[in-house]
Amino acid sequence: MMKALGSSRLSRRRFLTASASLGIGTIAAPYVARADDPTLRITGWGGKWGEIMKAEIGPAFESEFKCKLQTDSAFPYLPKLQASSRSAPIYDVLHTNSNEQWAAAEMGLVEPKIDPKLVPNLADVYPYAVSDKIVGVSIFTSAIGLGMRTDKGYGPVTSWKELWDAKYNGVRGGYVIPVNSLGQAFLMMCGTLFGKGQTDLDAAYAALEKLKPIKIVDFTGAMEKMLLSGEVGLCVIHDSGIYRYDGQNQPTDFVSPSEGVLSLEQVLTITPGSKMKELANAYVNYMLRPEVQKRLAETVWYSPANKKVKLDAKYDAKLLTTPEKVSKLIQVDWKWYNERKDEIDQRVNRIFRA
Amino acid sequence: MSSTATTRPNGLALFILPSALLFALFFFLPIGLMALMSVLTGNPVVMPKVAFTNRHYARMIGDPYYLEVIWTTIRIGLVTTLVALLIGYPLAHWMARIKSRTGHALLLMAVLAPMLTGIVVRTFAWMTLLSDKGVVNQTLMSLGLISQPLKLMYTETGIVVGLVHIYVPFMVLTLTGVIGRIDERLEQAAENLGASPLRAFLEVTLPLSLPGILAGSLLVFALAISAYVTPILLGGFQIMTLPILIYQQISANFNVGFAAALGIVLLMISLLLVIAYNRALGLVSGQRELQ
Repeated sequence: MMKALGSSRLSRRRFLTASASLGIGTIAAPYVARADDPTLRITGWGGKWGEIMKAEIGPAFESEFKCKLQTDSAFPYLPKLQASSRSAPIYDVLHTNSNEQWAAAEMGLVEPKIDPKLVPNLADVYPYAVSDKIVGVSIFTSAIGLGMRTDKGYGPVTSWKELWDAKYNGVRGGYVIPVNSLGQAFLMMCGTLFGKGQTDLDAAYAALEKLKPIKIVDFTGAMEKMLLSGEVGLCVIHDSGIYRYDGQNQPTDFVSPSEGVLSLEQVLTITPGSKMKELANAYVNYMLRPEVQKRLAETVWYSPANKKVKLDAKYDAKLLTTPEKVSKLIQVDWKWYNERKDEIDQRVNRIFRA
Repeated sequence: MSSTATTRPNGLALFILPSALLFALFFFLPIGLMALMSVLTGNPVVMPKVAFTNRHYARMIGDPYYLEVIWTTIRIGLVTTLVALLIGYPLAHWMARIKSRTGHALLLMAVLAPMLTGIVVRTFAWMTLLSDKGVVNQTLMSLGLISQPLKLMYTETGIVVGLVHIYVPFMVLTLTGVIGRIDERLEQAAENLGASPLRAFLEVTLPLSLPGILAGSLLVFALAISAYVTPILLGGFQIMTLPILIYQQISANFNVGFAAALGIVLLMISLLLVIAYNRALGLVSGQRELQ
């Protein structure tokens, strides 16, 4: 009796062992439960994109393909992929802008092209989405143009060149060119506007010099806030950055300059060392499905790459949803740009220093 | 007997072991790897053919732009340290000498309160004050004192203001401990011997508080030259400092080797200035042991 009582007594060692087991079990339970599901590691934006991916698009993919999506939305992605092993990369699918995708492809971190046999929806995309200016596939694009305040009495804006008008001194907005795709694309546009073409860097540098004083930011989100607060009156921005405030009565508008709008592509690529190639291709194909494209386009105001997508009238009127509208897009030769990036960075850093 | 005694492990050494391991793992190893990366053509873990090179350092020396960035970083660090010292010293002296416990507690709370808010939040607060549409400019314009907004942000002055606000508590807390340990009777003795309060302060208190000035200044300087958030937000990317350049090289140029070289230069500058500052203050105060 005494022995039995003694053996059931809770000793400190037993208590600690039991507590540790319980703790490890609690922490590990969700992972054990999901151990059978394959995991696809992707990158993706935060904000509204992240919200709808987490709430709807991602779970629907997980349910259909019996897998888990693990999304890294902590930018920048490429240095992390660069630091990971080529044979066991940190991501299976890399979602980022075209300039970074080109850099990744040059370093051998992503496959340069998507196989149309494995991604059937590739047959339905606009030519720009798989053009020779694109690594992988562009699933959406935004139009880079000008954003303006409509309550300051500036009058109508029709050309890129109006950004150089002295009346915008002090309220002109641009980007930190070394770190921002819009800034880099705009630099190429300056070459076209004032020189012989996108690659006329001397003309672009001279134009940037004349653009001062200018307020520069690193992310489009920061530019949106500057425009909304009235810190800037006319700025370089993508259409999504203006249209996403639709219905909120903001005194802002997007201008598609007569010289054309620049393309800001949302590109997907697959990493060569991915162990989930089949699932990765399925994900790319899924993101190009008309219903997925429509839902995302109408949430974040990105123009869908799939020609078959029919958007509601409100979105259709503003986004690039027809071959005619898409033909206005100017794509940047990122391969050419990246080969000269160090030289360009040094020069623009000098131009914009206070 | 004596040989047994000398080979017996020191018990105290075991207590130092965890911190020594921690220091080796999180200080020497990363810095060693950074130094190694700065003289390699790529990352040997993921790239097959990697060789030694001096090209990252040659690029830095060969282009005056990088030297300008280094000087800007040092200049911002020095000015921030000086201003933090000028603001922090009187406050620390007051805190150390105040008789009232409540007064001391209130002053301590006032110094510590800003530290309870994150650096990003505090910097954004400065942005709302200093921007063109900010409180300062709007107030001056509404009073008719200025017609165009003053350029308070996107300047080195704006960055220094933000950094000083963030780092003054580090200076004050370091100085308070040192000044508090100075025997007040030494000042009283000086005054009894005919020295004015100012002279007693300059010839007694100030030299004795030099170790605190040294420690606080080094802390603030090290923090200021390695600051990233405040220079970016208040400098609007128009004031380039080494941490911003390092981030650009990693996040947008994917050039880890050059970023590592810049990091090593930043470290070397800090070390050299620490040694120089240490020696100078040691000579001034006559406290040779500081060296």
